[in-house]
Amino acid sequence: MKRLRFLGPHREEAVGTLLGWLWLKRVALAGLLVVVLLVPQLFSTFFASSIGVQSLVLGIAAASIIFLNAVVGMVSLAQTALYGVAAYTTAKLAVDLGVDPWLAALVAVGVTVVVALLFGAVASRSGGIYFLMITLASSVITYYFFSQVTAFGSHEGINGVTPPALLGKPFVDPTGMYYGALICSVLIYVLVRYLRRTPFGYALQGVRDESIRMRALGFNVPLLRTAAFAVGAFIAAIGGVLLVWYNSSISPGTIDLTRTIDLLTIAVIGGLGRLEGAWLGALLFTLIQTYSPRYTDRFETLIGLVFLAVVLASPGGIVGISGSLDRWVQRRLAGRKA
Amino acid sequence: MATSPPVAGALRVRGLSCRFGGVQAVSGIDLDVAGGERRAILGPNGAGKTTLFNLLSGEVYPTAGHVEVFGQDVTLTPARKRIKLGLTRTYQTSRLFPRLSVAENIYLAVVGAEGGQLRPLRLHRDDEFEARARQIASRVGLNDRLEVVVASLSHGEQRQLEVALALGGKPKIMMLDEPAAGLSPAERGSLTDLLVSLDPAVTLLVVEHDMDVALRVAQRVTVMHEGRVVADGTPAEIRGNQLVHDLYLGRAYQPPSPSGRGQGGGRSVTD
Repeated sequence: MKRLRFLGPHREEAVGTLLGWLWLKRVALAGLLVVVLLVPQLFSTFFASSIGVQSLVLGIAAASIIFLNAVVGMVSLAQTALYGVAAYTTAKLAVDLGVDPWLAALVAVGVTVVVALLFGAVASRSGGIYFLMITLASSVITYYFFSQVTAFGSHEGINGVTPPALLGKPFVDPTGMYYGALICSVLIYVLVRYLRRTPFGYALQGVRDESIRMRALGFNVPLLRTAAFAVGAFIAAIGGVLLVWYNSSISPGTIDLTRTIDLLTIAVIGGLGRLEGAWLGALLFTLIQTYSPRYTDRFETLIGLVFLAVVLASPGGIVGISGSLDRWVQRRLAGRKA
Repeated sequence: MATSPPVAGALRVRGLSCRFGGVQAVSGIDLDVAGGERRAILGPNGAGKTTLFNLLSGEVYPTAGHVEVFGQDVTLTPARKRIKLGLTRTYQTSRLFPRLSVAENIYLAVVGAEGGQLRPLRLHRDDEFEARARQIASRVGLNDRLEVVVASLSHGEQRQLEVALALGGKPKIMMLDEPAAGLSPAERGSLTDLLVSLDPAVTLLVVEHDMDVALRVAQRVTVMHEGRVVADGTPAEIRGNQLVHDLYLGRAYQPPSPSGRGQGGGRSVTD
């Protein structure tokens, strides 16, 4: 209620309007949640699979970018490569070595985190544009590694990955896969929210805001950055495992530079400042990617225009729009009552 | 105020020099500060006071000389390890965490001194740390601003928080870099009261342009000019020192060595 002081003399009336607005927002959010929960029941198999599952999986990958940016202030271009590491490891273990899919997934996440610790140990000593370039280099190295090494199928990649029986067959009945990806998304969201309120999370936010001060306060800044990078890789790895289960295959084309930029585009469209933006950006991206071929074959141009429109209209991305609306309503109220 | 003779040395600096490219920021500084001593460091802008602090806190490494803290050589010890010896500092321009609240800022200072930076779980200890953070906030007069995001604090409150962050690290030696910069007279008064009321066991080094603050807090004053110590004594001695008068009131001053930059003495330095 402290924030309502600006409303001035006709406070009660204005508070009524404001509460109405907040109530409207809450109803809209609840409606959205119901729809998200019932996607397999409300929509066609095609939609639930191509839009539903795909948005959730891409959203998880984009969430790793947003986590790193929002909490630690590091913009990483390595997240696509890292989810590629997880996808390739899962595929290799399951298809070529016949390992149980759950065990393969577990090992894949572990391997990705270890790779990220190595990449992170190098990249985390730098910041800003230099960090961006080093993560881009890691991304390119990873791409060439998988496209050259025959043990990983070089250009063909690895085909015939089957998800665990519990998740079903994504293209026949996406229900299991959808809820699997939804649960993972919710867990990641909750994990990041919890992490922000732990000593580790506060330390990361301190590094984001003022790393010189953090050093003077006794924190090991490169170590914190590296650890954060590993947490980002953990999130991306979950996305990678789900991706390879969903596509039943992985090839270098899935982790090339175009995909790296796609993922960054998703994160920026959704909003780099807040985690939920990842899934909103992924949803918009997937919708355009899936339905634009019906009208035009210029997907890149279209997504570029959407990117520009979102960035210009709301620098905070899609999630930023809610905040902009809040401020707009407040200004309107304050203006009318003045 | 009588100066007590140095008992146990808190800080011992010998021949400390630091060169940035063509600029000799600090040259050949010797400094002895006793445990619990209150020392003011004065000098016009560009005298090397902040560089001296950066050398003592480990943010910059010296090109020559060495630093001992409580008898331990820390010349090349990384900044983050010096806090374990109880060395804390503030900054001339505030270095705070603008997107966190006042309570969270001080909490970070407490956690930093206690270690456990990679702890991804909230434990019972954190309640204790937060309680200590609140206690420190009330010492610097920020107890009713705990939940306020730092970016929306006033300048004066941000300066108070600077001091709070230095207090959060269980300081044995506190280095305050112009804590009163930009404060109103009333705020200066309460800051001075706070500094005077600090635990007498804490060694205090204060860089301060405000003579009233500096001379009220300090038992001993070191005056720097062009990277060198040019005077050292009790506040009374420094008040009567002709050289210091010249430096601060703008009489022409010839640098003591030809290697000095030969300018800066002619201007009045009052900020």
